[in-house]
Amino acid sequence: MIWRHPVFAGLTLALTLITAASEEVGVSVRDAWVRETPPGVAMMAGYMALRNNTSQSQVLVAASSPGFETVMIHRTIVKDGMTGMVHASQIELTPSASLIFTPGGYHLMLMNPKRTLRAGDRVDINLEFRSGLRLPVSFEVRK
Amino acid sequence: MKKRPLKFSIMITTVALAAMLTGVWLAATYRENDSRAMLLPDQVMTLFPDPRPLTAFALTDHQNRVFDLASLKGKWSFLFFGFTHCPDICPTTLAILARARDNIAKDAVGAEDIQLVFISVDPNRDTANKLKQYVAHFHTTLLGVTGDDAQIGNLAGQLGAAYQVSIAPGMENYPVYHTAAVFLVDPQARYHAVFTPPLDAEVIRKRFKVLRELEGAKAT
Repeated sequence: MIWRHPVFAGLTLALTLITAASEEVGVSVRDAWVRETPPGVAMMAGYMALRNNTSQSQVLVAASSPGFETVMIHRTIVKDGMTGMVHASQIELTPSASLIFTPGGYHLMLMNPKRTLRAGDRVDINLEFRSGLRLPVSFEVRK
Repeated sequence: MKKRPLKFSIMITTVALAAMLTGVWLAATYRENDSRAMLLPDQVMTLFPDPRPLTAFALTDHQNRVFDLASLKGKWSFLFFGFTHCPDICPTTLAILARARDNIAKDAVGAEDIQLVFISVDPNRDTANKLKQYVAHFHTTLLGVTGDDAQIGNLAGQLGAAYQVSIAPGMENYPVYHTAAVFLVDPQARYHAVFTPPLDAEVIRKRFKVLRELEGAKAT
């Protein structure tokens, strides 16, 4: 019978694994990058486009990285004609929602890099969601 | 034929006359400011019809040279207020200004008469040496400038550039707020225009190109 055939069994297994993987990913990230900073500057910013592929809200509550002492979710705001930063303690992504971290808006504030990062380098940042979902993302350092 | 009441006719005539006169006046104004009018309807650059001459101020650049009113003369200066511990808006703006300058340099007139100036409102942390390392990263010609609070306030006040440094004792990363606008000072050291974000290097190049041509034509 066909479902006993090894190729079919292999295909089924592969499909099961793919499904499991995409369910696990849940939130997808693209265009993740960090702006290269001048030497001696301890503050960097990370940008990315997030998308919630699950049918539940996903709440981003924290981020951490082995490459930096501290990572915080920040947003650049304009107040009284001045721009400044505020800490965003959490960001909710409703089902199918996308959120773009971009210069002048939401960004990951990356403090005290453990090594000098140059354009072309990559650095890992883990995104943590309230559901327990932990998403490791590789950020590219760009000019 | 029904006769219209006199009052109504007078009203219509008045409105028509007023509209005509407004039209003539608008046309005349438009002709007079013809060249400038092409720069007016813009969300990126606000151009001042009567550029305001700046008055004396005294700051220091990243090579410990004096940066004062005389430093602004003979060049178009793009001024941006910020601080080096600023991860998002400052590097973003400086990178855009550097690209704008490079793009302007490709035009026939070139960029020799342009200077980019980064004014740190956080002299407490931004020493000349720190600024030197910082500005070199963005552009070889970028000037890093700072000074004491009174002198930063002096220039910022003349340009209407708001900023606020909230130093708290023992706080390493105190918040600094500052305007994200880029101020354009003309070669006569007059506050001529302001660019408001979101900024774009190509848009800045195009607007500046027209402005410089108009001002150049006026001078000759």
